[in-house]
Amino acid sequence: MIEMLFQFEWMRNALLAGVMIGLISPLVGVYLVVRRMSLIADALSHVTLSGVAAGLLLQKDFAWAGWLNPIYLGMVFSVIGSVFVEQLRRLYRTFQEIAIPIILSGGVGLGVVLISAANGFNVDIAGYLFGSILAVGRQELLLMAVVSGIVLLFLLIFYKELFALSFDEEHAFLTGIPRRLLNFLFIVVVALVIAASIRVVGILLVSALMTIPVAASLQFTNSFRQTCIWSVIFAQIAVLCGLFAAYYLNWASGGTIVLVSIVIFLLILLIKKSLFLFRRRKIG
Amino acid sequence: MRENVVEIKNLHYSYEEQAVLDGIDLTVKQGEFLGIVGPNGSGKSTLVKCILGLLKPQAGEVLLFGQPVRTLGERSRIGYVSQKSNSFNSGFPATVREVVASGLYGSLGLFRRMKKQDWEKVEEVIDQVGLSAFRDQNIGKLSGGQQQRAFIARALVSDPRLLVLDEPTVGIDAKSTAQFYDLLAVLHREEGLTLLMVTHDLSVLSSHVDRVACLNKRLTFHGRPDEFERKQTEILSATYGHEIQLVSHGH
Repeated sequence: MIEMLFQFEWMRNALLAGVMIGLISPLVGVYLVVRRMSLIADALSHVTLSGVAAGLLLQKDFAWAGWLNPIYLGMVFSVIGSVFVEQLRRLYRTFQEIAIPIILSGGVGLGVVLISAANGFNVDIAGYLFGSILAVGRQELLLMAVVSGIVLLFLLIFYKELFALSFDEEHAFLTGIPRRLLNFLFIVVVALVIAASIRVVGILLVSALMTIPVAASLQFTNSFRQTCIWSVIFAQIAVLCGLFAAYYLNWASGGTIVLVSIVIFLLILLIKKSLFLFRRRKIG
Repeated sequence: MRENVVEIKNLHYSYEEQAVLDGIDLTVKQGEFLGIVGPNGSGKSTLVKCILGLLKPQAGEVLLFGQPVRTLGERSRIGYVSQKSNSFNSGFPATVREVVASGLYGSLGLFRRMKKQDWEKVEEVIDQVGLSAFRDQNIGKLSGGQQQRAFIARALVSDPRLLVLDEPTVGIDAKSTAQFYDLLAVLHREEGLTLLMVTHDLSVLSSHVDRVACLNKRLTFHGRPDEFERKQTEILSATYGHEIQLVSHGH
């Protein structure tokens, strides 16, 4: 039955896209979660929305912009937004979360204005809001592959520095790790991941694959390395099960993927709790 | 003559209009253990931050190993252990081994991976601070005293020549505190490490340190611990502004 799915190009594309996003999202997400920056992902995804809206507006008004996939402009906006986030975080060191509502509402505000300026779009903007992985084309797949390559390379090269900065930023700085440069590069990488994953889970759900698998692994892992590995495993299960479930049940793919990852999270909590009770009974 | 590891000359630091450090002159020689005491708000932490180069003083200078701290290239020569409470998130998923290894990352430099001898060094310092049984434990699950020993190991792994400690025993029980000071004594006496420690704990001064500095915006005393004990009442009332009783824990 599953073999049948691979006959369709759109399903192959969707699976490839899902596997790539299910790899890079949780890996970047681990750092976001442990640095208490999970909401930054949401803020940046909303900025991406305004970029996508700007792209759609260009496409509508100018014939030459026809080739321009709106996701490119979404990516540009997201990266610009990430630079702002980093500046705001430095400006308000003691209450860094203030960057989130500023960037998030700014992104939505601009997006809404652009959408209304275009008097609505022919293209269904819901595909960007809630994800439309089954409509991922060759060009977008290529974009995701390039982004995934960059992200994996970045995380591999700077694994030790990113770990030290996440664990204790001041100490890392004191031992000579270039804090500003790496924080800047990291947030740009986050922006790239968000823009690339929008087709899979959608703007409104983009932070789900970055945080829920990590939240599940944090329940039982001891080491940072284990946390990274298990987060990827959970994200992959969520993406693959979510995709197949969405196909057979005819549900929205983005939402299904997110729901599967929530189910995994709840299962882990349940297993942990039962083990705890079981052990206590044994001792008692 | 022994080298000056820390040399502070006429240091001034103020937050906006408020002077916090006013004309501090202080030297720590190689192999010395200096204890800095002073009341809350006396500028102890500011002094530590200036020594580490985290803050830039308005006047005066800090030399480490004869070089201005802000241009010091080899940061690995300084180890730093801060107060336990504010240094990390206790839910962080990292083992003792991972945390200790992170002390090497800065000196290894970008684009370099940990080699076999680096990992051996990590194991060695974990043994040295007595955490061998906990190397694969999550750092957040250790006791406060064990966590501080892990942070000492993280500071030691890059072979520093100066160890700076900012109230390392705050929030740690008496027994672990005693073990912690014993570890410092070993590092100081047997390894000849230069130590600079800011502390609230006056009882540690007589038994462990070579020199005492009392700080309250200015240095009110700088000398040997026996001298400090002799003139304690005057020094402390000058430092703390009123007479206080030294409680001896009888180490």
